Amino acid sequence: MKRFLLALFALAIAVPAHAQDKLVISIWGGSWRDLVAETVAKKFTKDTGVPVEFITGGTIDRLNKEKLAKGNPESDITFTTSHVGWLYANDGLFEQLDVSKIPNAVNLAEEARISPYHLGAWAYVYTIGYRADLLPGMKFESWNDLWKPEMKAKLASPDFDPSHIIAIAAILSGSDPAHWEKGEDKLKALKPNFKAFYTNDANSQQLLASGETPVQVVLSMNAYYMISQGVPITLSIPKEGAVLGIDTVAIMKGSKKADLAYKFINTLYDPDIQAEIAKIKKGSPAVLNAKIDPEVAKLPGVFTTAAQWKQQINIDAKMRAEKTAEWRKWFAENIMN
Amino acid sequence: MPFIVSGQPFLRAFMTPAVLCSIAFVAAMAAVLQYSLRAYVPGSLDPGGFTLDNFTALLKPLYAQVFLNTVWICFLTAISTLIVGYPLAYALVRTNKAIIKSVLLVIVVTPLFLGEVVRTYSWIIVLGNTGFINSVLRNLGLIQQPIQFMFTTFGVVVALVHVTMPVMVIMLAAGLSHIDRDYQKAAESLGAGPIRVSLTVTLPLSMPGVVAGVTTAFAWTFSAFATPQLIGGGRVNMVSNLVYQLGFSSFNFPFAASLCVAGLALTIVVLAALRLVARPLENIRAH
Repeated sequence: MKRFLLALFALAIAVPAHAQDKLVISIWGGSWRDLVAETVAKKFTKDTGVPVEFITGGTIDRLNKEKLAKGNPESDITFTTSHVGWLYANDGLFEQLDVSKIPNAVNLAEEARISPYHLGAWAYVYTIGYRADLLPGMKFESWNDLWKPEMKAKLASPDFDPSHIIAIAAILSGSDPAHWEKGEDKLKALKPNFKAFYTNDANSQQLLASGETPVQVVLSMNAYYMISQGVPITLSIPKEGAVLGIDTVAIMKGSKKADLAYKFINTLYDPDIQAEIAKIKKGSPAVLNAKIDPEVAKLPGVFTTAAQWKQQINIDAKMRAEKTAEWRKWFAENIMN
Repeated sequence: MPFIVSGQPFLRAFMTPAVLCSIAFVAAMAAVLQYSLRAYVPGSLDPGGFTLDNFTALLKPLYAQVFLNTVWICFLTAISTLIVGYPLAYALVRTNKAIIKSVLLVIVVTPLFLGEVVRTYSWIIVLGNTGFINSVLRNLGLIQQPIQFMFTTFGVVVALVHVTMPVMVIMLAAGLSHIDRDYQKAAESLGAGPIRVSLTVTLPLSMPGVVAGVTTAFAWTFSAFATPQLIGGGRVNMVSNLVYQLGFSSFNFPFAASLCVAGLALTIVVLAALRLVARPLENIRAH
């Protein structure tokens, strides 16, 4: 009986200890969560024996929750977009990274080293995706093609972030994203061609699949997902380049499992894991030593070399974090309404 | 019933949850009000010092237009829901057959069991260029080019009517069920036809229900978000969409808060005006 009670006691204390050993990851839901679960998390758990738990939610929801939980974070690791990562960092929500604890990070592309607090996890581009079957003979070799009169009431772009098209208008007007005002008239000239603004990935997919908006400024990884679902989208990389997007990873300040978090990030940068991410989601690896499937490597919007990274239009993430509100307001006042 | 006569402690206990909810609600409103009076700091989540800039920025014609659009869409939705919902509510109350009553109840209440996003996506399938309505019209040879329902005020109102229907029918049914059928029988015995009975007896007597239904539908629609967001596609915007566009997706929480405060104030003013106008109708009672 005594032995039985001892065993029961041991079991009782063992269960909470096991539960405490899990690593908590904050990430978007759906295919993004699945991507990390099936690649990085799987290998991390196999290597360390530590299970991974996910907290999912939208970019802003997760940011707000972590702000409210400052000092006692809900998660140990957060995945978010590069410019949103700066908002976390500026608010003291991210731990300053000790890169020496992430040996695989030595192979990171220069552009993926966003800040001392957050690093690129994978990359993609915002570019032109279109339904060639609904626009016969139309090619998008330059961003200027979006301005053509025959594109009237055919275009959609994200309503949550106009930074891509604002940067493009500035560049086409001979300026750069930092001096975006020079592209204002160019953007106003595009207004008749906008038919709608999509609010999330599902909405973007629905608008393209139904042909309501046969042309979109679209996230390349989402476009490839839609193609895999049977939507006949053609992805075009204009001669001026596509707009680089980087999703990042960071350790939350106050995490009690920082050592495990470093191991997780190091696993993320394992070249094989990066190659797997590229294969599943058609994203670009954040490290330059990933050996990815040649069929994936040749896809538009997938880049693997330092030279290819440099060909993309890179809006500085810190500036983007500071300008987002100004850009969003101008866009809502002058283009959407 | 001694516990009622000397039941103050029970009363207090019963009121506690309501009081706690009220305190939480007031605290949340105070936080929103406080945020609306703070400056936005680019690149930061924390607001700056106190300012009225957020409210002066609302004076731009664009924002006035969106506020007017919101009132207009609420008005159209409330009236359309009343027109569609009244016969349904009448049938629900007057039918003696349990099976018909059950079917009508299911039709009326089903929208409440669907999530707003699911419901809205269903309407996208119905209203889209390749959707149900356009496909039927095209197959019947009635149209060559699809009719544009998506991204229009019409499309948004149609979907909002569906969302608002349960509330309207339930309130109308409550109003109609209080009408004594003897009044209608008396009118019929004096030679009035069904239309005349409906217009001169039933409709006036159901006015309290109509006023309550329209007012609730109006307020219900004012806070609509997912439906105008998805069906409107950024081309038809209500106040809540503006809060999302200018506040949350750009992290400018102070400006978003000022839009919320202005929207709330507008709702109160419009509902007060509606109540003032409808007061004579509410007083209609059978004597």
